[in-house]
Amino acid sequence: MPVLELREITKVFPGVIANDRVSLALERGEIVALLGENGAGKSTLMNVAYGLLSDDGGEILVDGKPVRIRSPRDAIALGIGMVHQHFMLVAPLTVTENIILGHEPARLGIIDRPKARARVVEISAQYGLKVDPDAVVGGLSVGMQQRVEILKALYQGARILILDEPTAVLSPQEVRELFGVIRSLVTAGLSVVLITHKLDEVMGAADRVVVMRDGKVVGETTPSQTDQIGLARMMVGRDVVLSVEKGESHAGEPRLTITDLQVPGERGLEALKGVSLTVRSGEIVGIAGVDGNGQTELVEAIVGLRRPSGGSIDLKGRDITHAAPRETIHAGVSHVPEDRHRRGLVLEFDLAENLVLGDHRDAPYASHGITDAQAISETARQRIKDYDVRTPSEHVLAGALSGGNQQKLVLARELGREPGVLIAAQPTRGLDVGAIEFVHRRLLAERDSGTAILLVSMELEEVMTLSDRILVMYGGQVVAEFDSADADEERIGYYMTGGKVAGAAPAGAQPAGTPDSAPPAPPMGGAL
Amino acid sequence: MSEATKSPTVDAWWMRLLTTVGVPLLSVALAMAIGSVIIVFSGHDPIAAFSALLQGAFGGWRQIGETIMRATPLMLTGLAVGFGFRANLFNIGAEGQLILGSLGAAWLGLLLAPLPPILSIPLILIGAALFGAAWAFIPALLKAKVGAHEVITTMMFSWMALYLTSWIVSGPLADKGGIPQTPMLSGAVWLPTFDTIIPGLPPMRAHLGFLLALLVAVGVSLVLRRTTLGYEVRAVGFNPSAAQNGGISIPLTTIYALCISGALAGLAGASEVLGVTHRFFDQVSAGSGFGFTGIAVALLGKKNPVGILFAALLFGALSAGGGTMQLEADVSQKIITIVQGLIIFFVGAETIVTWFIKRRKRLALEREGATNA
Amino acid sequence: MLNGFFTPDLFASAIRMATPLALAAIGGTICERSGVVNIALEGIMLIGAFFGVVVTLATGQVWLGVLAAVLAGVALSGIHAFASVTLRMDQIVSGTALNILALGLTGFLMEVLYGHPGATDSIPHQILPVFNFPAASGTGFFATLWNWINPLLFGYTPIVYLAIIAAVLGQWAMYRTTWGLRLRALGEHPRAADTVGVRVIAGRYVAVLISGALGGLAGANLSLEQVGSFSENMSAGRGFIALAANIFGRWTPVGSYLASLLFGFAQALQIKMQAYQDVLHIPVQFFLMLPYVLTVVVLAGFMGRAVGPAEVGKPYEKE
Repeated sequence: MPVLELREITKVFPGVIANDRVSLALERGEIVALLGENGAGKSTLMNVAYGLLSDDGGEILVDGKPVRIRSPRDAIALGIGMVHQHFMLVAPLTVTENIILGHEPARLGIIDRPKARARVVEISAQYGLKVDPDAVVGGLSVGMQQRVEILKALYQGARILILDEPTAVLSPQEVRELFGVIRSLVTAGLSVVLITHKLDEVMGAADRVVVMRDGKVVGETTPSQTDQIGLARMMVGRDVVLSVEKGESHAGEPRLTITDLQVPGERGLEALKGVSLTVRSGEIVGIAGVDGNGQTELVEAIVGLRRPSGGSIDLKGRDITHAAPRETIHAGVSHVPEDRHRRGLVLEFDLAENLVLGDHRDAPYASHGITDAQAISETARQRIKDYDVRTPSEHVLAGALSGGNQQKLVLARELGREPGVLIAAQPTRGLDVGAIEFVHRRLLAERDSGTAILLVSMELEEVMTLSDRILVMYGGQVVAEFDSADADEERIGYYMTGGKVAGAAPAGAQPAGTPDSAPPAPPMGGAL
Repeated sequence: MSEATKSPTVDAWWMRLLTTVGVPLLSVALAMAIGSVIIVFSGHDPIAAFSALLQGAFGGWRQIGETIMRATPLMLTGLAVGFGFRANLFNIGAEGQLILGSLGAAWLGLLLAPLPPILSIPLILIGAALFGAAWAFIPALLKAKVGAHEVITTMMFSWMALYLTSWIVSGPLADKGGIPQTPMLSGAVWLPTFDTIIPGLPPMRAHLGFLLALLVAVGVSLVLRRTTLGYEVRAVGFNPSAAQNGGISIPLTTIYALCISGALAGLAGASEVLGVTHRFFDQVSAGSGFGFTGIAVALLGKKNPVGILFAALLFGALSAGGGTMQLEADVSQKIITIVQGLIIFFVGAETIVTWFIKRRKRLALEREGATNA
Repeated sequence: MLNGFFTPDLFASAIRMATPLALAAIGGTICERSGVVNIALEGIMLIGAFFGVVVTLATGQVWLGVLAAVLAGVALSGIHAFASVTLRMDQIVSGTALNILALGLTGFLMEVLYGHPGATDSIPHQILPVFNFPAASGTGFFATLWNWINPLLFGYTPIVYLAIIAAVLGQWAMYRTTWGLRLRALGEHPRAADTVGVRVIAGRYVAVLISGALGGLAGANLSLEQVGSFSENMSAGRGFIALAANIFGRWTPVGSYLASLLFGFAQALQIKMQAYQDVLHIPVQFFLMLPYVLTVVVLAGFMGRAVGPAEVGKPYEKE
C-alpha cells in the first residue's frame, strides 16, 4: 500500500491547467523523482499535496485512506513534510525558533525554550544533520539552511518528505552529501518525492521516475530502464540536443579588467574580498559558484548598482569603478540581470517602453527631455522581430508575456544596443528548453561577433557549455581558474565548496565530511 | 473544465470597465448611501439633505460657480497627490505644501503688487509653486537619502507649516488690528472671477484659477506621457530596481517627483489666495483640508488627470452644497468629511469587488464539490 | 533665569505626555510585526478619545468611558484589518481613509450630540491619580528625595501605568510566548509561517485589533485623563509620531516606550517653555512645532540603521 497516493489531481489557474488529472503513488522507503521542465506542473502538484494550494478535483490518500488536505497544518498532521525551492525560513529567527515555529513546545502559551533546544539537538544527532541550534538563520550558508529545512520537517514528524528542486543552489559535492542524507532518511523508513528538472540527479538518486509535461504525467520509468537521452525526450516531448555547438573562440584585446575589487556586503561583512579578472573581446568567461558567494555583488559592482570599497574596474582603458548605471550603459556595458522581474523589466510598461529603458534619454528616442514615441515604436518593432519576441504588438504590457518571451525582450534590449561587454547573470533561470537554446545560441553568436561576455550561472552545466574560461568563486574570491578544455566538474566542484589554495587540486578530491554512503558522482551531462 | 479556463478572459473585460469607471461611481454611490444612513440615525431627512446639497451645488449659475471655485484647489491638490502616486510616493502632507504656497502667494502678492498683473501674477504663481516645492524638499531628501517614510515626514511638515505660518501672520507679516492674517492684497494681483470676464453671468466666486488648474492638468499629463522625466517617474513608481538598472537615479527621481507634487500643492494655495481669500489667514484653528481632500480626489480620479478633473468637481460640489445643506436641512457639513473618507476607502478597496467574485466562485466550487461527494 | 525649570513636574509631565504616544507606538509595533502598517492609529486615537467622553458623559462612569474608547479603537482597527488583510487593500490608503472618516465622524457626532462644533462638554470628574501621597514638607535630603520620587513614581493616572505594563508585558510576550514567535514570523515571512501551519490571516487580524485596543486606550488617556473633554482633531498627529517612535524603538514594545518618552519629553518641554516665553522671547509657535521637528530629526537620523519587518505593508495572498 502506498504511503501517499494522488489520484487524478486537477489544478486550474486562470488561463492554465497546471495539473490535468495527475496521479502519483509513493511507496514506503522509496525515492520517487518527479521530473519535468519549468512550468510542467511538478511544484503545483506537490503544493496541492502539502495543502498550500487547493485542488480543483481529484483525491489524496495517505496510507490508503482518503484524506482532505486543506492547509499545511493538515499535511503536517498526516506526516507530510516539504522543503520548498525557496526556503521557508524566517531570517532573523534562530535555528531552533525556525524549527519549532508552528509546533512550539509550550505551557500556557509560554515557550519551553530548553525543551525546544534539546529536541532540536536530539533530532539533529539522530539523523546526523549537524547544526548550531542558536545560530541566526539569516547568517547561515545555503546548504546549512537546507539542513534546517529538513530538520524542521523531521521535527514535525514527517514520514513523507517532498523536496522541491533541492540541488538548485548546491555545489556538486553538497549535492552528493544531500543525496547521502536522503538515502539515510529512506533507510530510516521515510519516503521521499524529489522534484527536479536535472536528469543526472534522477539517474543517480531515484528509485523510480515520474515524468510530467504540460500538466500531465507523460511517463513512468526507473533509472535502470532508461538513460538521460530517453528521459530528456520524455520530458520535452521531442529529441533534444543536450549541448549547443560551440566554435573556436577568437579572443582579442582585453575589454573588461577588474583588479583587486572589494565590495562591502550586508552586516559589515565583505562580499567581495579582492577579485581580479579580465574578459577579452570574443570570449565568454564563466563564473561558477554556489549562490551567495559574491557573484551578485560582482555583477552589481560592474554595472554600477553597488559601490566598491576598493580596487578598480577598467573598461578598455576607461575607469568605471565608481560609475553609475547610466554611465556604464553609455560606456558600452550591457546587463542581463539575474532576476528579470525585479531588475530586468518594468512589467507595467509596454514592450516599447521596456525596450528603450536605459537609452530612453538618448537620441533618437528623446531630445531635450521630450520623448519621441514614433522612434521608440520603430526600434521596438525591429527588436521584437530580430529577437523573435512573440507578441501581437509592441504596446502589450511586458507582464503579459511568458517567461521565455520576457527574457528575449531583455536580450533584445541589452544586445540591441550593441555593447562592448555583456554581463549575463542567470540568463536561463526558469526558462524551458526551447528558450534556453535560444538564449545560448544568442550568447554564442554575440561572442563570435566580438563582444566580451561575463557569464554568471548557478547551473554548472551551463557555465561549462558556454564558457571559454571558467572562474570559480567562493567566499567573495576567485579561487580557481580553468580553461574550458581542461575543466572538469569534479575539480570545479571542489573549489565551489571552498577548496582553498588556487593551484593543483587533487583530482576527485572531496571536501571533508562527505558521508561514505554517498553515491558516486553522476555525470552532469544533461542539466536542463 | 473548459469553462473554468475561459472564465478569466470573460472576467477581464468587464473587470476592466468596472475598475476604470465603475469602481469610482460605485464607491461614490456606496459612500453616499452610508452617509444617508448616518443622517437618518442623527434624526434628519437624507432626501432633504441631499436635495439641499444639490441645490447648493448646482441650483444656479452662482451655485455652479461656487462648485467650480471649490473644485479649483482640489484639482490642483489632486494632481499633486496623484503625481506623487505615479512615483509610488504618498504625499499625505500636500496640506502643508499648500499652506506654504498660500503664504508665499500672499507675501509675493504684497511685494509684487506694483508690477503689471501680466507680470506679477505669473511671478506669484511660480513663487508659490517654489514655496510648495521647498516645503516638500526636506521630506523628499530624507526619503531619497535615508528612506524616512514620506507619510510620516510630510505629515510632520504639515503641522510645522501650520505653526510656522501662524507665527508669520501674527508677527512679520501681520495685518493691523490683531487678527492673525496678512494685509489684503491689491486688486491688481487678484485672479478675476468669471463674471467679470464673461458678460451676462451673475456675480460668482469661480475665478480664472480654474483655467489654470485645467492647464496644469494638461501639463501634468504631457509631462508624464511625453517627457523623459515622466518616463523615469513612472518607471521608478512601477519598479525601482529595474529603473535603477536602466540608469535612472532613484534618489533624484524621488526628489523631483515629491517636489513637483509639492509645487502643484503650492499652486493650489496660490490659486486660493489670489482668487478667493485675497490674503492669508492663520490656519491653526481650521486648516483648509484641501490637501487631504486632494488624496481622495487623486484616488477617485484613478491617478489620471481627466479622472482627477471629475473627482475634483464632485468634491467641489459636495463642499459647495454642504453649506446649503447645513442651513436648510440642519445636517452638519462634517458629513461631507465622512463621505470623503468612505470614498477613499471604497476606491482603495476595489479589490472588494474581486474578493466578492472569488468568494462566490469558491462557494460555488464548494457546493459543486459537496454535490459530487 | 531658568530657575525651577528642571523640576520633578517636568519629568512627570514627560511621562504623562509620552503615554498616548507609547500606547499607540506599542500598538504600531505589534501591528507592523505582523506585517500590517497602521497609520489609522491617528484616527483610532481620535475616535477612542471621543467615545470615551461620550460614554462617560452619558453614563457618568468614567471606566465605562475607557471601555468604550477601547472598543471604538478595536472597531475602527477591525475595518483596517478587513481592508488590509482580507481585501488586501493598500494599507496606507485604508489608514488614510479611516483617519479622515474618524475626523468626520467625531466632528459630525459632536454637533449632533452636543450641538456645538469644536469641543464636547467636559466630563464631570477626570480620572484621578492612582496614588495620592502627600508631599513632604521641609528642605531636608529625604524630604527633597520624596518630593522627587512621589510625583515621578506615584503621581499618575491609571492609564499611564497601564502603558508601562503594556510595554513590559508586550516585550515579554513577543520574545517568550508562542504568540510572539508566530507574530515575529508573520511580518518577516508570512509564507514560511503558513507552511508550518501558522494561521497568517487570523494572526494579522489579532495583531491589528490589539493595536486598535491600545490606540483606543491612548485616546482615553488623552481625553479622560489629560484634558477632561474632547476637542476636534485632538490627536494632532500623535498617531504618526507614534509610528516614528515605533521605528526609533526598533519595532519592540519597550523600545517604543522609551522612544515615546523622548517625544513626551519634547512635549513637556515645550509646554514648560511656553511659561518662560517672556524670558526667552521666542514665539510660542516654535515651541508648538518642537515635537514635530523632533520626529523628523529622529527619523532622519535613525532610518536606514533600523530594519523593520521584511514583509510589512505587503498583503498576504495564499495562491
